[in-house]
Amino acid sequence: MAEYGPFEMIAYTGSRVLEDETIVFVGTGLPIIAAMHAQLTHAPNLNMIFEAGSLAAILEQGMPLSVGDTRAFRKALFAKGLCAAFELTQRGYADYAFIGGAQIDMYGNINSHFQGGTYSRTGTRFPGSGGAGAMAANCEKTISIMALEKRRFVERLDFVTSIGFGDGSPDYRQKSGVMGAGPYRVITNQALFGFDHETRRMMLLEVLPGMSAADIQDLVGFELLISPDLKEMIPPSEADLRLLRETCDPEGYFLKRKVNKEIKDADQKVTDMAA
Amino acid sequence: MHNHACSNIGNITSQKGEVAAREDIPFAFWGPTPMEARKAAVAKKKGLHDKRTTLKEAVATHIKDGINLGIGGFVNTRVPVAIIHEIIRHGARDLTLSFQSNSICVELLAGAMILDPDHVSIKRIELAWYGYEVIGIAPLFRYLMANGMIELDDYTNYGMSARFKAGAMGIPFIPTRDHGGSDMELLNRGKMIECPFSKENAYLVPACHPDVGIVHVPMADKYGNCRIFGALCTCPEIAQAATASIVTTEQIIPNENIRNYPNLTEIPYPVVDAVIEQPFGSTPGACYGYYWFDMPHFQEFRSVCDEFRKTGNKDKLKAYYDQHIFGVDDFDGFLAQKPYKLLKELRLQDGMQPIIKD
Repeated sequence: MAEYGPFEMIAYTGSRVLEDETIVFVGTGLPIIAAMHAQLTHAPNLNMIFEAGSLAAILEQGMPLSVGDTRAFRKALFAKGLCAAFELTQRGYADYAFIGGAQIDMYGNINSHFQGGTYSRTGTRFPGSGGAGAMAANCEKTISIMALEKRRFVERLDFVTSIGFGDGSPDYRQKSGVMGAGPYRVITNQALFGFDHETRRMMLLEVLPGMSAADIQDLVGFELLISPDLKEMIPPSEADLRLLRETCDPEGYFLKRKVNKEIKDADQKVTDMAA
Repeated sequence: MHNHACSNIGNITSQKGEVAAREDIPFAFWGPTPMEARKAAVAKKKGLHDKRTTLKEAVATHIKDGINLGIGGFVNTRVPVAIIHEIIRHGARDLTLSFQSNSICVELLAGAMILDPDHVSIKRIELAWYGYEVIGIAPLFRYLMANGMIELDDYTNYGMSARFKAGAMGIPFIPTRDHGGSDMELLNRGKMIECPFSKENAYLVPACHPDVGIVHVPMADKYGNCRIFGALCTCPEIAQAATASIVTTEQIIPNENIRNYPNLTEIPYPVVDAVIEQPFGSTPGACYGYYWFDMPHFQEFRSVCDEFRKTGNKDKLKAYYDQHIFGVDDFDGFLAQKPYKLLKELRLQDGMQPIIKD
């Protein structure tokens, strides 16, 4: 069995979740790696939008460090600006949003504005919505990447940045004037979550081999629904890891960071993915 | 803003106190109103004039205390660093900054404020995102907000882009399908309405008209017709929404070239008031077709900012500004501090993107 790091598991799981013949609205880092891996394996006709305005760039010059940078625009099919990227999305042409944040609640609402304090005087102010709020509103399905910790999976967000299912009421999104169907998957390195169709609450779908539903519940600050068909997360194979390490992120910029190299760094990356 | 058309965000918000504090504040544009912006456009001379000048002159002419400064680029891609350096040298107080996602340009202004708020100060920001992406949170932003030093108006990247678009279109607001259902619906200055045609809720965002838009482009002619390759970001909209625009460019190209391929013009000349040829005008940021990010420089600046945030000691922050901004006459002076090998390497790292100068 091949040895893999936590970020490799996240990227691989992200790839598994994506489907062929779709357009994915991605942010820098793990979402791009997941989408690239998907393109190289089961989804060769998946294409990416970057919010600074490129559609279907070919990522042959290394990992973009920003969704607006040169590498994210190289050999694109269409290159304009933010308005064009979001207009296409609002119109319905972006199937998946790949976002992150600092906190998530049981209805998939996400916070990337601040933690602690108040809006005017913040404990820690994060960068802000960036593209995430718009992506969560208008891509058809939202996939989010989060670090699995109790202080992130919370009962109540300090600030609602990216809309999920709101308060869980059936018409929350409609009354909000947003278009997409809402939260679809939440990917962590130890568990994969979906959302129950009836109640719109977060539901545990898969766990890391060796972990139980109870283990995951211990890391979450609200009551999880557990899928009656709970599975194990599929680990990346040798071939997958080769793809990830040699083709997708050869510089190891996003995949190689160790779990305990300050969870803070990981926090930062995850928070900054809300761009 | 809260009114009769709304989502159920009230059921999940933690920000009721902040909402209450804003209840009685009437809406006001944080800069020129749409009517003022219109008048400014009408008043401009529309002939083809040689608008080439120096940054010193352009900044002295257009940058005043209290203006709304619209900053182009996206995070650190094609950002107007050279213009920001000159604004800091010149001084500007009580600024309203407007942009979608930005990074070093805003941090540079924030650092200048921390060093001498009587010379440069930020009053408020209309934004969607302010940070460093892969490198981390912007320490001075975190510091300013932890101390409640500036007022914010938060939107999504689309929201701010749509606001500039509305400004560029000459309309006072534009509907979007986002912000609703988030705390931005409660706290920003947009407004939910029921669409009179579809009966669905839609979120209106007000136009944003900067007094001055600052933009860096790869090439422009002397009249101000600008081409952009790679990400357009929201630069055409910002330049057109602003009542005046200052453009730096990697190189001035002949007007004949613009006329060869008019489709490639992203910003038309009437919208531009000053053109300055400034190679490497975005560094340490990147410019598609020209140069990549200077990551060590970002890390150097960010670390002196973070040191100030953590310790309160301004020495290293001051040293950075003294060396790179106040200690040089102009941006060429800043560039001259860099070894040729570095600039050459940044050019190579761009990866030879095809661009059209003809």
